[in-house]
Amino acid sequence: MLEYIGPALEHLFTIENFVWMNLGVFIGAVFAAIPGLSVILCVILFLPFTYKMTAIPGMMFLLGIYCAGGYGGSVSAILINTPGTPHAAATMMDGHPLSQKGRTKAALKVALYASAFGGVFSALMLLFLGPQVAQVAAQLGTAEYFMVCLFGLTIIAGVSGKSMIKGLIAACLGLLISCIGADPMTSYDRFTFGISRLYLGLDLAICLIGLFALVEILAKSEKKIGQLILDSKRMNDDGKITKDEYKRLIRPTLISSIIGVLVGIVPGTGASEASWFSYDRAKAMSKHKEEFGHGSVEGIAAAESANNAVTGATLIPLLTMGIPGDGTVAIMLSALMINGLNPGLSLFTTQGDIMYAIMIGLIFVNLFMLFQGRFLTQLFAKVVSIPQEILTPIIVLFCFAGAYSVNKNYFDVGVALIFAVIAWLLRKLDMPLIPILLGMVLGNMTETNFRRALFISNGSPMIFVSSIYCIIFVVLTVLAVFTLIRSKMKESKEEEKE
Amino acid sequence: MKEIQSWIERLGERRDVIDEKLEKKEIKLPTELVTGIFFLLLGGILLLVMPSQVPVSHTDVVNGRAFPTLLMIIMMICSGIILIKELYNIFVKKLPPITKTINLLVEVKALVILGILLLTYVICRVTNLFVIGAIFCSFGFLIYFRCRKPAYYGITLTVSILIWVAFRFGLNVNF
Repeated sequence: MLEYIGPALEHLFTIENFVWMNLGVFIGAVFAAIPGLSVILCVILFLPFTYKMTAIPGMMFLLGIYCAGGYGGSVSAILINTPGTPHAAATMMDGHPLSQKGRTKAALKVALYASAFGGVFSALMLLFLGPQVAQVAAQLGTAEYFMVCLFGLTIIAGVSGKSMIKGLIAACLGLLISCIGADPMTSYDRFTFGISRLYLGLDLAICLIGLFALVEILAKSEKKIGQLILDSKRMNDDGKITKDEYKRLIRPTLISSIIGVLVGIVPGTGASEASWFSYDRAKAMSKHKEEFGHGSVEGIAAAESANNAVTGATLIPLLTMGIPGDGTVAIMLSALMINGLNPGLSLFTTQGDIMYAIMIGLIFVNLFMLFQGRFLTQLFAKVVSIPQEILTPIIVLFCFAGAYSVNKNYFDVGVALIFAVIAWLLRKLDMPLIPILLGMVLGNMTETNFRRALFISNGSPMIFVSSIYCIIFVVLTVLAVFTLIRSKMKESKEEEKE
Repeated sequence: MKEIQSWIERLGERRDVIDEKLEKKEIKLPTELVTGIFFLLLGGILLLVMPSQVPVSHTDVVNGRAFPTLLMIIMMICSGIILIKELYNIFVKKLPPITKTINLLVEVKALVILGILLLTYVICRVTNLFVIGAIFCSFGFLIYFRCRKPAYYGITLTVSILIWVAFRFGLNVNF
């Protein structure tokens, strides 16, 4: 590890990297602060800008968006009781009540400090755990890799929506979409229906523009346009946090950061799960339970540190095995691969200097988030009230330009539009979209390992239970299915009672 | 400018009348039944077209059809479970089917938005000039949102051109 630190720092400490980091942090915070715009949407829209960059500035820019998105969502949650991003909903529980008590700046400060702590903690975990996990991952063969993918997809399908079966169908759909184009092993074309452009398959970024960005534009039909007005007087407090409050913040922030990291490592789970789980834990462990829901600083700190602690942890399975921890980092995978960085142990050895630069850079991203948050919060607060009339066409144009720029043809823009319509129809059927994304990301890897494993075993499926790692993942998958089914049954029973 | 504003107002008034009529019209979509049937059919159709769409070499131990076939079977089994569960609830438990209320006004609005997107796409493709499509798109959405503030038109127009400039000259995307 130490041999890579020196060259990594040399790669990292350039003006270009720090400019992109800060730009990413700024854009991410602004996007996440606006209700209705998500971090995943922001990463999709700005992904084309990284195509011309080398790996480090490209990843610094995207990680800046990703990390600051974790904090930005709390701004609108605290100020106007509307979470900018879904994972900021837990922050809203205490952030807005504290703001109503005339302590808006204090609430924003707690959210910022906790976010930055969670982010740095997570980045350090990535730095120390990533290479270790990569070494274990290097021992995995094709059968084991297939079982890891299966485990990841099961969790994703299970936690992404109300129905696990619908999640599984969505994951299958994503995997099927990844089958379009040349067969990864024989190069025969599959499901191209005579369209020559489909031979190279569907580009992930283009599909995502339709699935997650353009569909949000169609969803504008569901909402009445009304401008969110921010009461500027609300931010007139001194923002002071007392010594006693600082002391009370330490425990929930630390525990929630650990929870965030643990949740983030599991593929398919994300910041929302981490922040709610941490919020509940903090409440259960607090000496001031009565304050929760009425402006507890511990509640804000728990939710915020957890959702930012997810950011580095989600990169652990991504960088070591190519399995994204959540939807947003799944998109970042294409930014890595475009620069020839393929996940696995080799990433930490042959390209160790670049990898360590990215991992150390993540610490700086969080520090810049703290810095920008400290001085630009007033500005982030103002963007909450940018009118939808202006935002909507801008997002559409970014989508169109982004889709076109991938292969420089309008066919891709058409594909993005088709995916938007598909996503719109799937939403009507309450189908979750995240499993489709992760199915598309994992498709090639899952299929290749599945076929290679069967090829090695001459067609015998027993290869999938032939090693200790395979058995561990089979047990984990069965346990995950069992736990998920049980929790869904419990949920539906509770719903029936209500 | 005033003429445009009054035209937007008149358009808005007409839309109000249509909106009022459509707002009350709702359709109950049996989501579980539709999901089950749709994905069962999709899996079946894809299995049927597989031989024509996925050529294989018969010497392969595991050919290119194996993985998609597995996925389609899983998809069909899952759809079957959804369908059987729903039918059991309806006919044995005598429960009402799980439905989702679809408001006609929302769907018509979504179609209008889709229309703006499609027209933007067509304009860009036909003229091969993104900036023209961008201007149409901006104005299209502002009219859709019944925007009467001239400043918003100015801001959106400027940003649209800036996006084109950023991609055209910053990223060398020739469109």
